[in-house]
Amino acid sequence: MPMKDDYLWDGSGTPDPEVQGLESLLAEFRHTERPLTLPAETSLVSSKPPGLVVQFPWLPRLAAAAVILLASIILLFLPAIRVVPPPAGPGWDVANLEGSPQIGSESISANQSAAKLYVGQTLTTNSSSRVSLSEEDLGQIQIDPNSRVRLLQSGPSHKRLQLEVGTIHAAIWAPPGEFVVDTPSAIAVDLGCAYTLHVTPDGSGTIRTTLGWVGFHLNGRDSFIPAGAMCSTRPKVGPGTPYFEDASESFRDALHTFDHSEPGSDAASAALAAVLSQSRAKDGLTLWHLLSRTSGAERVEVYARFAALVPPPQGVAREGILRLDSHMLDLYWNALHLGDISIWRYWEQSSGPHPAPASKQLPTKKELLLRKNLAP
Amino acid sequence: MNSSPDDALVRAAQQGDRSAFGQLYSRYSRMVHGILLSRVPPSEVDDLVQDVFLQALPCLAALREVSKFPGWLASIARNRATDFHRRRKPHDEFSEGSANQESDPTSSAPPPHSSTEAHAALDAILSLPETYRETLILRLVEGMTGPEIAQRTGLTHGSVRVNLHRGMQQLREILARGAPLTGGEL
Repeated sequence: MPMKDDYLWDGSGTPDPEVQGLESLLAEFRHTERPLTLPAETSLVSSKPPGLVVQFPWLPRLAAAAVILLASIILLFLPAIRVVPPPAGPGWDVANLEGSPQIGSESISANQSAAKLYVGQTLTTNSSSRVSLSEEDLGQIQIDPNSRVRLLQSGPSHKRLQLEVGTIHAAIWAPPGEFVVDTPSAIAVDLGCAYTLHVTPDGSGTIRTTLGWVGFHLNGRDSFIPAGAMCSTRPKVGPGTPYFEDASESFRDALHTFDHSEPGSDAASAALAAVLSQSRAKDGLTLWHLLSRTSGAERVEVYARFAALVPPPQGVAREGILRLDSHMLDLYWNALHLGDISIWRYWEQSSGPHPAPASKQLPTKKELLLRKNLAP
Repeated sequence: MNSSPDDALVRAAQQGDRSAFGQLYSRYSRMVHGILLSRVPPSEVDDLVQDVFLQALPCLAALREVSKFPGWLASIARNRATDFHRRRKPHDEFSEGSANQESDPTSSAPPPHSSTEAHAALDAILSLPETYRETLILRLVEGMTGPEIAQRTGLTHGSVRVNLHRGMQQLREILARGAPLTGGEL
């Protein structure tokens, strides 16, 4: 390597005047460290079960050795066997945390901790097994016992999992909106970072968000669940009304009754009255959702209580909210400071289940960049 | 497996040690700045550096292999840059022209006091293929050495050497022609 490249490599050797000139010229763009302001409420400690933070540095080598051994056995003893090629596309790493989970009908033994899950494959855990799924650009997902998940999509900006039954704990660092989980009664769209999703055998589901926020969607019915909140969902009905877990038991009971009662019935009206009377400013989360789940006089009551607890921001008018003006509802949501709703709107536009009509369905900027191979 | 001094900082930060996270910020903010500068307008970079660390903070505990912290953080920075372009003007972005503009991190107007020559040099680097532009910015703008770039980004020494050598070769050609290329050469 010439001396000039040594200077380019590590600053040693004979200085290259051209490189030196560029260093000097470009110095104005150099990073100047600013103090990092950490939010007081953000915890550094994992809110995930400790099982997720597991280190197996020897796994890749062990997996490689296992693969070589297996290949040798097949070549030596079964020359006539028809070898089925592995599924195409990128696979997600599967780490066996406990027991004998299965990919398809194949068990992942305790020592085979670095298996892969490919698009189209199903991962199943029984009552005594747990696994961790990870993908470098996405994050990590722990799958609890008695769960069944299927990998539906693993593209560069769209990753999709189906949770048929069971529980997953997701810690996601991909950009908001890129990771979606299908359940029998709603789809969960990651808009932040960490949550737990549970699906029962009858298809009902519950989501608890620990960091960031998550969107729950079914047939035009949306619920946004920020950190500290939870939400249930039912088949054919979709997401219920989200609430903060520290709300009083009577508030939660009343909300449950409202969600499960016939709209406009006496039971629903009584439950709504109880919800409104017991709501705190923080429960603006619940009240914002109730605006679009009530009508007529009930919506007027919800708005009155909501506006008393959370003053409408600039650009929001009572009449607009009562007619469910989507722009005003978005402004009001943002005033709750629980997440920027433009992220969700972007997801709806570009990836949601009800994209714009064909005539208006234009490629997203990212798609354009990808077509040009210019996306970072 | 060799354990770097940063591994201990990452472990401490995972246990809730904010001071350790602050040290990681000091050690890696230059790398994050360089990665972002190779993808978004210079005027946006400082705020995005903070965003990257604030995004990494709550997710850090979920990082299983602490030795992968540099590459993991670099991925978050690259994802954040992608997200920046995706979320910018979400309602009026859908044209080929705007896509070209968005892909060019230099498309924003430079600050009035900045040197035209410096911007021209930055433009020239930003017209290079992405791999070269990121490595060259870390070297020429952020002042990191090749070994530092390898350690901080998780790339091998060989890859960094190749990126620096070939990137510089192309940069010299561009500068010799006196006009930066438009768009990437991917």
